[in-house]
Amino acid sequence: MPATAQSGRSAAGTGLFLLTLVSAVASGQTAQTPADGIKLFEENVRPVLEKNCYMCHSDPERAENGFLLTTRAGLLRGGERGPAISTSEPALSLLLHAVGYDDEQLQMPPSGRLAEADLEVIRQWVLLGAPFGGDEDELTEVAPAEDAFEITDADRAWWSVRPLGRPDVPAVADPDWPLNPIDNFLLARIEAAGLEPPPTADRRTLIRRASYDLTGLPPTLEEVEAFEQDRRPDAWERLIDRLLASPHYGERWGRHWLDLVRYAETDGYERDRKKPSAWRYRDWVIGALNADMPYDEFLTHQLAGDELDNPTAASVIATGYLRLGIWDDEPTDTELAQYDDLDSVLDTTSRVMLGMSIGCARCHNHRGDPIPQTDYYRMLSFFRGIAPYKVGGGNEPTPENYTDWIPADLGTADAGGPPEEGPPANLIEVLRVKELGPEAPPTHVLIRGNPHAPAERVEPGFPLILGNADTGLESPGPDSPTTGRRLALARWIAGDGNLRTSRVMANRLWQYHFGRGLSPTPNDLGRFGQEATHPELLDWLATEFTARDWSLKSMHRLLMTSRAYRMSSRPPENALQVDPGNDLFSRFNMRRLAAEEIRDSVLAATGTLNLEIGGPSVYPPMPAEVLATASQPDKAWGEATPDEAARRSIYIHVKRSLLHPLLESLDLADTDSTCPVRFTTTQPTQALMMLNGDFMSEQARALTARIDGPDGTVEDRVTEALEAVLARRADPVEVARGVGLIEELQREEGFEADAAFASYSLLLLNLNEFVYLD
Amino acid sequence: MTYDPERPRNTFCGRTRREFLWEAGGAFTSVALAGMLSTDDFLGAQTVAADGVTAWKNPLAAKPPHFDGPAKAVIFLFMYGGPSQVDTFDYKPDLYPLDGKTIEINTKGRGGTRNQGRVVGPKWRFKQYGECGKWVSDLFPHLGGCVDDIAFIHSMTADAPLHGSAMLQMNSGRILSGSPALGSWVNYGLGTENENLPGFVVMLDPTGGPISGAKNWSSGYMPASYQGTVIRSSGTPILSLDPPPGMSRQAQRRLLDRLREYNEEHAQPRSENSELAARIASYELAYRMQQHAPEAVELSGESEETRRLYGLDQDRTKEFGRRCLLARRLVERGVRFIQVYSGGNHNDHNWDAHGDLVKNHEYHAGGTDRPIAGLLRDLKQRGLLDSTLVIWGGEFGRQPTAEYAEGTGRDHNAYGFTMWMAGGGIKGGASVGETDELGNRAEVDRFHVKNLHATVLQQLGLDPNALSYFHAGLDQKLVGVEGAEPIHQIVA
Repeated sequence: MPATAQSGRSAAGTGLFLLTLVSAVASGQTAQTPADGIKLFEENVRPVLEKNCYMCHSDPERAENGFLLTTRAGLLRGGERGPAISTSEPALSLLLHAVGYDDEQLQMPPSGRLAEADLEVIRQWVLLGAPFGGDEDELTEVAPAEDAFEITDADRAWWSVRPLGRPDVPAVADPDWPLNPIDNFLLARIEAAGLEPPPTADRRTLIRRASYDLTGLPPTLEEVEAFEQDRRPDAWERLIDRLLASPHYGERWGRHWLDLVRYAETDGYERDRKKPSAWRYRDWVIGALNADMPYDEFLTHQLAGDELDNPTAASVIATGYLRLGIWDDEPTDTELAQYDDLDSVLDTTSRVMLGMSIGCARCHNHRGDPIPQTDYYRMLSFFRGIAPYKVGGGNEPTPENYTDWIPADLGTADAGGPPEEGPPANLIEVLRVKELGPEAPPTHVLIRGNPHAPAERVEPGFPLILGNADTGLESPGPDSPTTGRRLALARWIAGDGNLRTSRVMANRLWQYHFGRGLSPTPNDLGRFGQEATHPELLDWLATEFTARDWSLKSMHRLLMTSRAYRMSSRPPENALQVDPGNDLFSRFNMRRLAAEEIRDSVLAATGTLNLEIGGPSVYPPMPAEVLATASQPDKAWGEATPDEAARRSIYIHVKRSLLHPLLESLDLADTDSTCPVRFTTTQPTQALMMLNGDFMSEQARALTARIDGPDGTVEDRVTEALEAVLARRADPVEVARGVGLIEELQREEGFEADAAFASYSLLLLNLNEFVYLD
Repeated sequence: MTYDPERPRNTFCGRTRREFLWEAGGAFTSVALAGMLSTDDFLGAQTVAADGVTAWKNPLAAKPPHFDGPAKAVIFLFMYGGPSQVDTFDYKPDLYPLDGKTIEINTKGRGGTRNQGRVVGPKWRFKQYGECGKWVSDLFPHLGGCVDDIAFIHSMTADAPLHGSAMLQMNSGRILSGSPALGSWVNYGLGTENENLPGFVVMLDPTGGPISGAKNWSSGYMPASYQGTVIRSSGTPILSLDPPPGMSRQAQRRLLDRLREYNEEHAQPRSENSELAARIASYELAYRMQQHAPEAVELSGESEETRRLYGLDQDRTKEFGRRCLLARRLVERGVRFIQVYSGGNHNDHNWDAHGDLVKNHEYHAGGTDRPIAGLLRDLKQRGLLDSTLVIWGGEFGRQPTAEYAEGTGRDHNAYGFTMWMAGGGIKGGASVGETDELGNRAEVDRFHVKNLHATVLQQLGLDPNALSYFHAGLDQKLVGVEGAEPIHQIVA
């Protein structure tokens, strides 16, 4: 902040108004009396203020920045930058600085610099002590307006902040219904509403529900029938264990996590450059989930995998989390862009891991939750050590700040010492976080979030409302590559004492299994979010989660072996009237498959799905119309072999400015900010792509070829296709309808047999039954 | 057997449509059906949401504005790359004699921050036009004839003098990626009047999209229903609009009828789930879109005179002229927001004249002057100009000085540039705001991109400071949380 503004801020009332006038006179101004000052104000100054300033700075309720230009007290109090006039050194008043247009960051009025004559009038008036006439003219000092902050009892009693107790499992009228305590919590409320829970869904519904839920893939007809015929009492538990052991579990649940952390493989903006080796982070997520890495460790590695005592290649790759955001490689204001990047990291971290909208306190105290602006900057300072993408000017980022070559076996038992000679052969390129050294630059509260208007300095600290525990931070040694701050943050977020973290994740687990969170706003459990419908159940699950050592797979098993998870989606009697929004979970929520599930299911049904796991992303063919939207259509996308094009959707390259059109139309997660709940839209453009797109035509032909038997009748082939797509036995009416269409197309439209069958295959892939789960 | 491919067979599992809807428990809703059957009062009364209680609304159904606004549709002619104000509409006579002289001047652009530069005098002569006597450069002889319908804003400012962030700001209000586009906001606020066509249409230059591609018409944190749809001015207008090769319209009708039979059977025991019915209806809507969209872009019915008006008879102007003519046809068909790009790709494929200013601007102005004038005249003669807001401008302007030691190329300038608006209740013949005598920085009545956006919303009958969408704990607004005033001086 420029010196003039500083002095304006620090001006202490040291004199009386009259003294001010005397000093103005003594400094060579035309000798004037207070009456002259008031006259000047009335005749010359007020009209200028009215015309140029009062639109924003006259209404006490709505004054911009809290700054009122209608009274002398308003000038003395000033706005967020402090007093607008200095009684000790009027010439250095902030007001003159602002209207003088000396500072790019503070130019008033914003519509344009005042005329010279108007500026001179204001200057004279300020030098005379800015009299308005009246009692206030005697004032020399006014207490600054405090953006009052206080944590109240009501704040502490908020449902998501209350201490996490272990709620009693409620009693129910029908003790035979519950299979585990989850059922007691739900049934008690269902009974209280005078409803009966629905029956258990049939086995085909259940295996479809569980398969998609845990792997994002459909069961085959054989799997469905084997499960239907499995009469062992633990058939359901066996099914869940089999699915949890599948390597495709990590792909499905990894995608949930990638939605949350706004995963993409490019920076966005003009060049939308590729983030080198971002896919290793994606593979790390999938692998960690498959290995059932405890959730506390999962978070710690992403926040500070490089700061662990013994970092491994995997834990360093996990810190790619901190490099996933958008980045403009030619920012207009580099410092602002660096803060925007840190803001994105803090906002994502606090919403995803803590269910808190700390980001709202960047410019001012949070308007709904007890989060002062200082909390934002104290939390931000945990990330302040991070080396920015680019320091200083120029158009190219500095790759050494965010990529690295590390030994693939770093930190493992196999890792040898440094090679005798020559570079190690097993280096891999990783996207990772790096810091500037053991010392982070100082963090200041920024007025209105403006990096060019720093105020008080803050040190790392946790949100006051969450207890403000000691950070345990110590100075790292002078050779330390990092500050250790992120590890301190991770130890708190993922610590056993942090009830918030387990509550937030328990709610997400419920959401992904049951179709809606117990709190429907999983990224914000504060006052701008929605309260949990079953807060006791959520607390019970949260305590269970930590008691189970943060094991996600154990939680899946717990949730899925409840009777609630096995309920039919058909509403029982009166349920629609009594519980129209299904807030009681009085039946299971139907859902449309997610974008990736639809594309993967199409590939699975036609027998073309390539189930290879991991590796660099692939580039399935992009329609020419879509390439034409890129600024350089011929360089915008890569190529794929047919095998690569048939990979699961999670492996398709995520380019921020050029998303896969079919997936995008089916409500892919936004890539630029954390996506806690996907939209489910229904639009004609989806139907166009599902009916007419090249991908669907190819898949219909593939299904036709798969079914192609030289001896089969049309009935047989229709039956086989129906069963392949729907994983159930076909009934004769359905078969007859298919045969009817095929014959009609041949007879009336002159289709060849294969083309007619391909049309029918296309129809099957468009069925509601195919894309909706009961 | 005769078969009318335009007529879906009302099988509904053997019941009449009304019975089917009734059995659906009054819980029958859809994106499409509200419009498809909107003449059906019965349905209007029965349309409720999935919970069986809440009145259901199609996200794109026409919505009443906050107040009566003169404009019903917007055509944003986006001069991508940034046209030079001092060579187009911001007449600076003092700049000519300074040509070649190095002066003290503060600029910021691609080449960084500078405090002196070599003046490049305006490369075209200016003439006065119209009753308002507006000075317009020789780049726009046709547009010159329209100045009495145009309001010029000479004091535009933006936050970023670099394409990536500036494009996002002009399109979404923010330099950070991830917010909904202006067209998304308009469709969110007003819905569309024709559900057979997208409500937010984008037409690109044949050389490619602008940088950041689809980010420029993304619905950001809003649902995909509000995102822009790219329409091509030749060939198949919309992605996947054409049935696959060999599939006639009639054959597709047969397929869709069978598909509907399966889907209705599936929906019947799941009547409380309105999404199923919505998806069934979306196929009918898609089918109708296949008919309506090609008709909307089919120009054969346009008279020779109209085609000449838009410059379709000349190689130089026919490309952009076609898009302008399409824009008018889409406005006639109820499309709410149409964005037409002049220029695509990088460098001289658009208005980004870093090298040879004369060559660049002659090319781009030459290709657009007559079509834009034709569009304004055509809208006017058809009585559409009063209800159609036309916007002209780029993501920023250009500096009065040269970027390099040699040549006429100008660097970016976000601190002062010109945009104009016409129609939709805008005061013709007006000019507001001024840059300094060199045309470098806005000095008098400065306006920000936010003020431009606020003006667009206001003219459509939407209060820019009230139209909000709740996201990330905040009532987000196009004009930002701090709000912005429309440019009152240019409103008729």
